[in-house]
Amino acid sequence: MQTNEVQTKKAQTEKAQTENPSRDRILERIRAGLRTVIPEPAAMASGRAISEPVIFEPIVNPLERFQQECVGNLMECALTADSAASARHLSKVLQSLPEGETFVQDDPALRRLIELAAPARAIRWSSQGAPGEASQATVTLAEALIAQTGSILVTAACGGRGASVIAPCHIVYATVAQLVPDLATALSRISQERKLDSNSFACVISGSSRTADIEKILVQGAHGPRRLVVILQTA
Amino acid sequence: MSQTAAQRFLQDAAVKSADLVHREIIQRGMDSYDVAHLKGRARIKDWEAARQKCQEIKREAINHLDRYLLQFEEKVIARGGHVFWAANSEEACTYVKNVATRLGVRTVVKSKSMVTEEIHLSPVLEKAGIKVWETDLGEFIVQLRDEPPYHIVTPAMHLNRGQIAKLFREKLDPAIDSDDPVYLMGAARRILRQAFFAAEMGISGANFLVADAGVIAISTNEGNGRLCTSVPRIHVVVTGIEKVIPRLEDLAVLWPVLATSGTGQGITTYGTLIGGPRQPGEVDGAEEFHVVLVDNGRSQLLADAEQREVLHCIRCGACLNICPVFRHVGGHTYGTTYPGPIGSVLTPHLNGIKEFKHLSYASSLCGACTSVCPVKIDLHHHLLQNRRNATEAGATKSSERLIFRAWRWAMLHPRMYALGGWLMRKVLRILYDLGLAGSILDPMRVWNRYRSPVPLPSESFRARWRKGLGAN
Repeated sequence: MQTNEVQTKKAQTEKAQTENPSRDRILERIRAGLRTVIPEPAAMASGRAISEPVIFEPIVNPLERFQQECVGNLMECALTADSAASARHLSKVLQSLPEGETFVQDDPALRRLIELAAPARAIRWSSQGAPGEASQATVTLAEALIAQTGSILVTAACGGRGASVIAPCHIVYATVAQLVPDLATALSRISQERKLDSNSFACVISGSSRTADIEKILVQGAHGPRRLVVILQTA
Repeated sequence: MSQTAAQRFLQDAAVKSADLVHREIIQRGMDSYDVAHLKGRARIKDWEAARQKCQEIKREAINHLDRYLLQFEEKVIARGGHVFWAANSEEACTYVKNVATRLGVRTVVKSKSMVTEEIHLSPVLEKAGIKVWETDLGEFIVQLRDEPPYHIVTPAMHLNRGQIAKLFREKLDPAIDSDDPVYLMGAARRILRQAFFAAEMGISGANFLVADAGVIAISTNEGNGRLCTSVPRIHVVVTGIEKVIPRLEDLAVLWPVLATSGTGQGITTYGTLIGGPRQPGEVDGAEEFHVVLVDNGRSQLLADAEQREVLHCIRCGACLNICPVFRHVGGHTYGTTYPGPIGSVLTPHLNGIKEFKHLSYASSLCGACTSVCPVKIDLHHHLLQNRRNATEAGATKSSERLIFRAWRWAMLHPRMYALGGWLMRKVLRILYDLGLAGSILDPMRVWNRYRSPVPLPSESFRARWRKGLGAN
């Protein structure tokens, strides 16, 4: 098994070399350049602090911070007590949208929620393929919520890549237990759980899509969703 | 008559600094950036520590560039992606063009990438009969105007809404009847939406290449980058070899710092990580994933002990925004892919010191750029080093060398120096009295042309010193 892997890797490298003659030349130039040793600035060599400086304000109350950041990020966050309340909120959001396909991540929890919230709506489940160009809304889960930046973290497992960007409204169903204090925690968890070995895609989403390319004036809703709704269930 | 890059720069700079509409647009844009940037910085508890951390991350990455690039490559290949190393623009463009033609691509959607501007990729694809859509709103606007980006973060910041509405009316739809930014974004969205779903290939850049996870990281706000990398069946990433960072966790500080320096946001709306084509069991994503690692002169900088750190740049645009020269002459005047202080430092390395040495003088050496750089690149000293390097390389004009030799000789011969000063005061006084200040005969013409004449002292500094100026 292991020798096989080594052989495959070797074969891959050899293939890359024959198809890409510049690869070795560039690597050689890099190594030659790096032979010039540059002394570390004195401040860094000697003064490496025993305790790293605190760059970001520590998060005292993650839930409160998350809600605050959602306001700044132009996204909606609805706190719900239980799944029945979440379903009611989802139903209200969906009713405010135009008729059309709703794309939903195929997950047992979301199947139950949709059953309660929108039994009559046209649903396309992620198991049936990518969202259609004209879909009106997407409902997905998240891997985590990040209090520091008011972000949701999704991976390919959350309904795929297009789920969070094609429809004009993205609704995320999450629980308070998924809240992590900051980006550092969220990213080191992805690393530890090797999430990117099993997913080709992940995204930290902080609000609805926007642009300020014309006179630096903020326009909410550019190519992606105009609305990002987080239904955050406390139990 | 063909102009040199330096002559073109001076000419365009004179025109742009006198263009009142341009001045007003840039002033307004930079003012709102300044406000947002300061507010953003205040959100970070210890901004200096954040800069220090970012500098350390990039230093570690660049000092082990070979190792981290190989680590990145191995992970991408393991997921079924392709990595191509391009020594120069031509190799990079040819590779992308070959992938496109092999797979029958007719339409490409692009998200913002300065490296694709640097290697001039779009003209190569268009020559092969492929339609290329820039999908970032600012890039879309400058593409319609057949112009390069004005700024590396906000490509169309030199235009006001009226000019953009007029452009859309002429190029897209005569029925466009409003200059409201919401309306204009909507118009662009409708057209580009069709492009996203028609395109076979999406091309993106990368803000970072994360070595340990083997993923590219893209920071975008509009969602166009997301669509370019989600919908088409082929995704090609074109990026520079210096974009690598060691660990995924490094983004916990790099993302907020890049957003703060770029636009003043706490974090960019979409921080996207992509490591390969669609994997078994995934809903969507490109079937083919290619990363083109462009060298194009970057590896030469590694051997430069003074300036290796120029490769730490994360292309946030902060040095452009704060630069008093950029604010007056504007982005296009530089005539380079990367304008502003970082462009003035980098361009002589990438495109030749002889042709671009004048950019080292497009600076008052005030150091504002260095003070805002989020990875603490010593930009203004690098400009000074480039001036020295140009002189040492013999790239200066013979007339300039002659003048400096004469000046050196005069400095070593005090009497001659005093005589020269006396003569200059006499000549200038006669010229001023004749009303010829700023005329072609005036040796101080460069200054006096647009300003009231420099006042002339009645006596020399040496004379004043003798009279007791030195006593206090």
